[in-house]
Amino acid sequence: MIDHYDWSGGREAMLRFGPDVGPVVIMLLPLFDEHNRTRTFGVAIARALAEAGIATALPDLPGQGESTTPTELATLEAWQQAVVAVIDAVSGRGAPHLAVMRGAAVLDGAPGTKSIWRLAPIPGRAVLNDLRRAEAVSGRKDWSAFGLDSPPANLVGNELGWPLYAALDAHDALDTRDVPLRTVRLDNDPAVADLKLSGTPLWRRAEPGHDAALAARLAQDLADWVRRCDG
Amino acid sequence: MWHRGQDLETAVQVETVVRRVLSEVLGVSAARAEAFNADTGLFGALPEFDSMAVMSVLTELEDQLGILIEDDEVDGDMLATFGALTAFVAAKQSR
Repeated sequence: MIDHYDWSGGREAMLRFGPDVGPVVIMLLPLFDEHNRTRTFGVAIARALAEAGIATALPDLPGQGESTTPTELATLEAWQQAVVAVIDAVSGRGAPHLAVMRGAAVLDGAPGTKSIWRLAPIPGRAVLNDLRRAEAVSGRKDWSAFGLDSPPANLVGNELGWPLYAALDAHDALDTRDVPLRTVRLDNDPAVADLKLSGTPLWRRAEPGHDAALAARLAQDLADWVRRCDG
Repeated sequence: MWHRGQDLETAVQVETVVRRVLSEVLGVSAARAEAFNADTGLFGALPEFDSMAVMSVLTELEDQLGILIEDDEVDGDMLATFGALTAFVAAKQSR
């Protein structure tokens, strides 16, 4: 079902899956280009969760996915406000669980969640480093002159305003949280995790792809985690 | 001092990882990646190997092999062929 949520800056779309009662997972897909590569994958996980009796809300953040907000107007604060609005919108059924993929981990500090589940998380600076490196292959390499008074910069097709650029750059490590936190990574990723799974890093794919077996396995782990946190 | 056995092991391991990462990022089958040889053209030869894919490949190689690649080391030459990319990465790895 296509739903929406309202935040202080406007209205954004939100896909809803699963039953009208019981636990809800808010799923935040990766940022920028990785978002589009993982949309099919995220929907597959949400459908599998629905079969396990768990609802999912899959919101578009302002300036990401199908959002009509221009990317250059997106800021970290706007995204944080949007996540709070999504939490408010689904909290009638109790505090939701938050599932974040990759760079969306910059947003998992929102208050009012019951638990956090991270897939292959990276800090904001790593998100920005990826964009800067891709841009450096064929375009701009020197960012020292980019600042508060600069017009938005184009990083491989993404228009970023200075406030978002600076906020991502400042986020140089994943944060610890005061709610239960679980981290899942792929087995080729040497970083620390509670669970490692074999599968395709779809967020790296040049063209959007899918890994049905990985989606099913992740949905199972996420469902078990939600049940455990709900006690 | 020379450690030829170790060098050979490193080279084989690097080649395996480069093949796997190219397969993952470009979405080509493991069989097609297995058929890459030193002269197989990459950047400029494979249409799907654009600047975003170059970034993905280099970043995955860094993460999976624990190496650091500076952006100013990245140029068309080290990306031109499978052999050039593997040699570049192997030189990093052995340092």
